Amino acid sequence: MSNDNVESPTEDPTDDDMLLETDVTSGLEEGTQGSRTTHERTIVEAKDVNVWYNQDQALRDITMQVPENKVTAMIGPSGCGKSTFLRCINRMNDMIDAARVEGELYLGEKNVYDDDVDPVALRRRVGMVFQKPNPFPKSIYDNVAYGLNIQDIGGDHDAIVEESLKRAALWDEVKDQLDESGLDLSGGQQQRLCIARAIAPDPEVILMDEPASALDPVATSKIEDLIDELAEDYTVIIVTHNMQQAARISDKTAVFLTGGELVEFGDTKKIFENPDNERVEDYITGKFG
Amino acid sequence: MATEDRRSYADGFGQVSRTVGIIFRYLLLAATLFGIAVLAILLVYVANDAIQPLTADAGWHLTFFLTLVLPSLATGGYLAWSNVDGLKLGAMTLGLFVVGLLFSGGVAIIFLEVLPPLVWFAYVIAFAVPVAVTVGLQQRSRQIPFVSRFALATLAFYLSLFGFPGIVGSYAELPQLIPSVATLILFAPIVPLDWIQLTLTVGVFAATPVALYASAISDRRTGLIAGAAALATVAASAVVGPAVVGVGPIPSVVLASVAVLPTAAYVCGTAVTREQARIGLVLPVVIVAGALAGEVLVDTLGYAGPQSWVDWQFLTSDHSGTAANAGLYPAIAGSILLMLTVAALSFPIGVGAALYLEEYAPDNRYTRFIDVNISNLAGVPSVVYGLLGLGLFVTRLGQSTGTILVGGATLALLILPIVIISSREAIRSVPSEMRQASYGMGATRWQTMKNVVLPRAFPGILTGTILALGRAIGETAPLIMIGAPNVLYSFPSELSSKVSAMPLQVYSWASYFATNDFYEKAVPAGVVVLVTVLLAMNSIAIVLRNRYQRET
Repeated sequence: MSNDNVESPTEDPTDDDMLLETDVTSGLEEGTQGSRTTHERTIVEAKDVNVWYNQDQALRDITMQVPENKVTAMIGPSGCGKSTFLRCINRMNDMIDAARVEGELYLGEKNVYDDDVDPVALRRRVGMVFQKPNPFPKSIYDNVAYGLNIQDIGGDHDAIVEESLKRAALWDEVKDQLDESGLDLSGGQQQRLCIARAIAPDPEVILMDEPASALDPVATSKIEDLIDELAEDYTVIIVTHNMQQAARISDKTAVFLTGGELVEFGDTKKIFENPDNERVEDYITGKFG
Repeated sequence: MATEDRRSYADGFGQVSRTVGIIFRYLLLAATLFGIAVLAILLVYVANDAIQPLTADAGWHLTFFLTLVLPSLATGGYLAWSNVDGLKLGAMTLGLFVVGLLFSGGVAIIFLEVLPPLVWFAYVIAFAVPVAVTVGLQQRSRQIPFVSRFALATLAFYLSLFGFPGIVGSYAELPQLIPSVATLILFAPIVPLDWIQLTLTVGVFAATPVALYASAISDRRTGLIAGAAALATVAASAVVGPAVVGVGPIPSVVLASVAVLPTAAYVCGTAVTREQARIGLVLPVVIVAGALAGEVLVDTLGYAGPQSWVDWQFLTSDHSGTAANAGLYPAIAGSILLMLTVAALSFPIGVGAALYLEEYAPDNRYTRFIDVNISNLAGVPSVVYGLLGLGLFVTRLGQSTGTILVGGATLALLILPIVIISSREAIRSVPSEMRQASYGMGATRWQTMKNVVLPRAFPGILTGTILALGRAIGETAPLIMIGAPNVLYSFPSELSSKVSAMPLQVYSWASYFATNDFYEKAVPAGVVVLVTVLLAMNSIAIVLRNRYQRET
């Protein structure tokens, strides 16, 4: 990132660089995931997280460690709480009056549910991409620069916008129409615009809530390639309904099953080839869910 | 495919009865048309009484039929058949010009009667200076903390508008040490001519959107040229108007800024961007040319026109004991001034309350109690609001009865619930995904509101407020309750002067002054003017709403 005012937390890609250059999109057969686990550092750690919506428990005793600079996928049937967990990480659940969160959830060394944590400041460190592309009814430029403006980030905005759009693989398509409305783009372009918007302020973690579920296969594959590249610099946590997608793009996979339980969490390759839990195997092979 | 089991359906599929459905459909249609038809008939009657088209010579009718009606219908029909977009463009151009004319009338009245151009000019400059200071401070927002910026901006506004020590000092009876910018201009030894003042203020206000529009269509340079051309047009009108048409320089400048410029910008803009529809501009040309030709012809042929009661004399005279000399001028101006006061009071309070209730208020029983009560207040009869205004502003606060301030405040209370409800609707219609996106970027509630919610909801808020103002302009009962005079013989010139309004004057013509002439002619004429002003206001709301719907 060309953003010099915000110190980058992701300066040590270690030896992942080399590994990431291999073609991960072709899926499990490459078998690169297993060897990546050696040098990983935890960036998001949940300890016994429970979430209730009024009386209904949405998440039960979630404990997991999300490694830095990796793609972690969360899969599971509808209503299993995977999106809820995602929204716990940047405290978007605070917006819902009925939601109540218990337990500890660390971003780096800090429990984000500590009393002294300002959720707005937290969200500035954690980018989010939503299921439905939701660009603002502003120009493409202003969409990408939104985070820079509201977070009062200085520097050369033009350069940051260009860089973010390039990383989101959108620059070549929109460089001549930066003044036009973001809503005039196609769905896939809008979603890449939203990704550019999320990475412009240089967050540490990017949360993606089914980012490709509203897109056609071509746009989906572009987003997947993009996620793969983002993992070089960012930690990506992605919720998906599409198991092939999880298998293609993620290093780690968490399987949530009905009732808000995290049933199994581990290397993607292992989850998809040889899961410990019988229910996970049934879910992945399509026997239920 | 078990085709052998299927019947051949050679006899068709049978029939399903729809009789009840069809009857229901036409009953609904009748219900829809009933109200509209009754109102239309009433308006035709009123318009007939007011304009009296049948008093004109047959030759007059024939002339205008041949020069205006027939060519317009032919052009319109041809466009409707061949190029509907063109027809829309032509109608829009004509509508824009007519509404612009009506509004320029209102603005011209204000500059001629209420607000001397010099005072307006002085205060516009006195506002522009601190606004420029504030914008400059905002540019350096990273170096100067918010509190200092706010204090400096406030100081700039205070110094520019009031000087030092200003109004605070005058309470403490301190002498004025530094005059305000407004005072400096008001008492400057040399000031530009009044039409130059208006060109520099109203003209610039009108030319700026033209420049922005042109630069949005084309590029920056075109925008600058268009803006300069627009300003030059306004300035030229001040010279051309008095010399050629015989309109004074002030109305000329206003006319050019409010009616001519927007229409010209629209025509030029659409001619460039919508080539297919360009042909539609023939329609307004045919109509205007037809009207002019007809006018010249009836003059030369000596045909008498209708003895309309809605004429220049009616629009520009004060009330008089005899119907023939009576006019609506003070009431028109009174209504305009009341509307300005109502808008200035109800818009910030109503939108503020709506924003609080939608964005900040917690969902508890107190909020719900307020919700229910706002809905109920929208239905309280207007005469009750009149009583409230009388009790609150006149008795408690000691204002004198029937002034613009008291009338405006009372009407503002009356429409406040409507403004709040419609603004809340507009705010609620901002998709929650937009808010989520903004919060997800780490925006505070205030930033989300300022950058996402308000820009998106603003057209809806404006539409609702204008429609509510339309209700206020037609109110009579609250004005009677606060003791507004029935008729005025002179012009209300400041906030504390007595005011009458169009509906009140019409009402009194129909009751206290009910001679036959008043009852049968002046009243319908007043109604026609009132409804025209109302439609002009609502047309803005309609245009705004259409724009808004297109964007969503």
